[in-house]
Amino acid sequence: MTPIPTTMNRRDSGIDWPLWLAVLGLMVVGAAFISSTTGSAELARGARWYDWTATRQVMAYLLGLGLVFVLNLVDYGRLARWSLVAYWIAMALLVGVYIFGASRHGARRWLDLGPIQFQPSELAKLTFLFAMANFLSRPAGELRSPALFAKGLAMAVLPFVLILKQPDLGSALVFMPTTLVMMLVAGVPQRFLVKLVGGTLLLVTLILVDILVAPPGWRMIQLQDYQRHRLLVYFDADFAPRDATSEQRLRASQVKRQMSWNVEQAMISVGSGGITGKGWREGTQHRLGYLPRLGAHNDFIFSVIAEEKGFLGSVLVLALYATILFSGIKIAGEARDRLGLLLASGVVTLLFTHVFVNIGMNIKLMPVTGIPLPLLSAGGTSVICSLVALGILQNVHLYRRRY
Amino acid sequence: MLVFDQLNKGERPLRLLALGTGLGLAVLLAGLVRVQILGRHRFQQSLQTQSYKSVRVPAMRGRILDRSGRELAGNSPRYRLDVYLEELSREFTREYARIRKELLTARGAGSGAPPDLWTRLLAKMRREKPKSLISPQENELLWRQARFNVVSNVVVQVSTRVGMPLNLAESDLHRHWSNSRALPLAVLRKLSPQQVALLTEQSWSMRGISIELQPVRSYPHGALAAHLMGHLERADDYSEEEEEAFDYRLRDYRGVAGLERAFDSALRGTAGAKSILVNSAGYRVGETIASPAVPGQNLVTTLDLGLQQAVEASLALVNGDERGAVVVLDVRNGDILSAASAPAFDPGEWIDGVSRARWTNFYDVPKKTPLMNRITDGAYSPGSTFKIVTALTALEGGMDPARLYTVEPNPANPGKGAYFLGRHKIGDTAPPGEYNFRRAFIRSSNSYFIDQGLRAGYDRLLATAHRFHFGEPTRTQLPPGEDRTAWMPDGDEARSGRWQLGRLANFSIGQEVTVTPLQLAVMVATVANGGTVYYPRLVDRLETGDPLSVPRTEQVRPGQVRSLLGARPEHLAILRDVMRDDVLDDEGTGKAARIQDYGVCGKTGTAEIKGNGFKDKVTWFASFAPYESPRYAVIVMVESGGSGGGTCAPVARRIYEHLRDRDLASARGLASTP
Repeated sequence: MTPIPTTMNRRDSGIDWPLWLAVLGLMVVGAAFISSTTGSAELARGARWYDWTATRQVMAYLLGLGLVFVLNLVDYGRLARWSLVAYWIAMALLVGVYIFGASRHGARRWLDLGPIQFQPSELAKLTFLFAMANFLSRPAGELRSPALFAKGLAMAVLPFVLILKQPDLGSALVFMPTTLVMMLVAGVPQRFLVKLVGGTLLLVTLILVDILVAPPGWRMIQLQDYQRHRLLVYFDADFAPRDATSEQRLRASQVKRQMSWNVEQAMISVGSGGITGKGWREGTQHRLGYLPRLGAHNDFIFSVIAEEKGFLGSVLVLALYATILFSGIKIAGEARDRLGLLLASGVVTLLFTHVFVNIGMNIKLMPVTGIPLPLLSAGGTSVICSLVALGILQNVHLYRRRY
Repeated sequence: MLVFDQLNKGERPLRLLALGTGLGLAVLLAGLVRVQILGRHRFQQSLQTQSYKSVRVPAMRGRILDRSGRELAGNSPRYRLDVYLEELSREFTREYARIRKELLTARGAGSGAPPDLWTRLLAKMRREKPKSLISPQENELLWRQARFNVVSNVVVQVSTRVGMPLNLAESDLHRHWSNSRALPLAVLRKLSPQQVALLTEQSWSMRGISIELQPVRSYPHGALAAHLMGHLERADDYSEEEEEAFDYRLRDYRGVAGLERAFDSALRGTAGAKSILVNSAGYRVGETIASPAVPGQNLVTTLDLGLQQAVEASLALVNGDERGAVVVLDVRNGDILSAASAPAFDPGEWIDGVSRARWTNFYDVPKKTPLMNRITDGAYSPGSTFKIVTALTALEGGMDPARLYTVEPNPANPGKGAYFLGRHKIGDTAPPGEYNFRRAFIRSSNSYFIDQGLRAGYDRLLATAHRFHFGEPTRTQLPPGEDRTAWMPDGDEARSGRWQLGRLANFSIGQEVTVTPLQLAVMVATVANGGTVYYPRLVDRLETGDPLSVPRTEQVRPGQVRSLLGARPEHLAILRDVMRDDVLDDEGTGKAARIQDYGVCGKTGTAEIKGNGFKDKVTWFASFAPYESPRYAVIVMVESGGSGGGTCAPVARRIYEHLRDRDLASARGLASTP
């Protein structure tokens, strides 16, 4: 009887191959298209190879993979014990960013650590995931208590508010679906969930109303003008206040045209790629500066891929993400305990939200909010955190049989 | 779904998660299908319209040639100094930063030491925004100023290099930047070869400037045949179609007078187009030729360059400041071999536009009117040259050339004759006495021809004039507006009784009506060739520069007969005889046109123009040669001349000397070639 499980174990090795092959595929795509976007300008500027954005991205991939390896030395059950500590460190960093953070485009999202810049909101997403999973992994019966539900909710609201205040609306909103799905999976009673969904919808509506129509003095969330304008563009709202003079209206409509520019240009990039695309490094939209120079290699990297590789390229990217997401759901289904299940489903939701919002923003399904596309967008923190999240999935997969 | 089936029923939430994920991905897929497959043409089109600008490139203008292919109007290279704005965009940014800093310093911001850590922390805690001291409008102006500073700096450097003051107006730069940023800005339109050498020296180079070569219309002989060539001006009018098709246009020219105008579309050719790839800031990134321009056709005229030069030199000998015209026709087919109008102008100076001063001091001078083509557009009383018409009418009416007519002496001036019509007296330049037809013609007796005119009557006289097509356009290939009818009354006017005998008398000697020099040339040519009225022909053919293109040439058929005069040959022979005698006889008025070995035949004319308080003369010499086999008709007209015989006949003599030598040379040439 013994040989059978051994062979099964050997064949069913610890590594989830489809997941990691898809990750590898995304890494190749990411490095290739970041170099397509930034390469020629950096060559022209005479930057050294180790300063290229693509090189930095590959370094982040390698660093992330190293972290994944380290992370898998210990099983997730033990890791979860430290989750609350990590959670509070992340919260402290968010507060730190509020005071010491480096400001870019009017938003304070970064901690400047000399040569490296670090984005605490990315870390907050991960640590929240871990802490929430740990919190919800208690027996389902206990979750019937409203006090416990409120405590869980508070865990989510704290980073949400801190990030919203940066202001980074996109990253803040990511917490909502993640919390919701994790609570659903954990078996939180339906009445709580209905209230949570209702509350979330109400909150989102309130935030939007606050941003879109409230007069300047009444706004609770002080978004930067450009962030507000992006939302106004998406909802096609009036830029000018209701009592605006005709001159103000004229200016407002000019601003609106300028603000819809990014979205329009992203659409033109994606659409003009057609079925087969213009070829690698042949895209004109970013080369001629129609795509925002600061965003083409991160927030709008999908536009570049879609323009240069066309519909086939976009579908390939979607398929790679689908492989990762469904592998994640499979891992969640095979997890040995509630903690594993919650961790895996949380990671899947987090990744899916990023993918959906970012790609959706490139084809005008979603407003422009500045959420990175996992693994493809240039940006060290985002890449490393995405890989660590995938590492958690791998961890759940690896230790699924060790009761 | 594979994953879906593996999840057991106890994991309903996971199934929901899988379903949600699948749905979300499907939505993205549907969105991509919509944008990338269904919308691809629309987005590809908007990609094109936003990143390509089309430029209309004018074609090289066709040349105008004389009858043996020598150039009358061509194209010469012109060097233009351009500034490429996209190459200066970095300098713009640098200059902008500099003057912005200056402005901020001037406003007291950024002064003093940087704030210490604590104040910075406090400021961050309070989320104070750094206040912007520059309004958006000011910012715009700063950019404008920065661009102007950079470009004018370039211009100053160029200007010291070429040693020539150059001006760049801020408004010009701004207009160019706003309207045609993708095109280079022309700083200097006309560089001399020395300046080109100075600018292209290896030791000197400058960012953003480049020397462009472009063909520009040139007239190698200056003012030669200026009125036939016409002139050009910048074309700024385009059809609506073109307006839509192009974002930018390069400078193009359009003919506004003469052959340049009449054959403008053929000479202009077909404009080409190039596409300029521009970046999001509107600067040029690259260029492609979308469709090459098709050069214009060459226009081969019937003119003879050597003869034209001789004609203009002869006319200039009158006094150097004359107003007049000369036409040389080939009587055998109506070809215009040469035609000149004075004063003339240099069509080349219209390329860059004529200055206001030049216009008022030269072009807009009353009476001189250098732009007027006196050959076909000037209407003048023909004077005694019109006696050819009166004579032909009389001969056709059965007049006996030998019959004598006595001219009464003029009581006021007994040396001259006069004609008495009722109480009116019409003075004569010929002395009183007995005149037969021949003597009356060569002495140009007014009294004799008034008598003949009155005998023939208005209708018959006018009918003869109309048979020569007086009062009609000559239908040469000049633009219709430049081909005057002049004034020849029609029959109704006389029959209405308004024409008194006095006017008829004046009409008989070429007063009261007007003709153009070319109309008169056609008349003389008809008499000379025995009665065939040809259309005067100025254009021989349009040739395509590319020998393989089809159709290669468009020929204007030579010797097109307009009508037959219908006069009896012996009457025309009598006219030719008396015209020969006018030059040959020592008594003849046209004896100044007499030359050795060449039978010049002619008729002088001096028309008097009386107006309100002024008196002027138009002098003529209408002639043909050689007598034995007529080949050339030469009309010389000079405004305010002394007399036809004194002013115009000598001009004709020099022209005939040239023609005689030319004929001799070609005869010798023929003889020497076996």
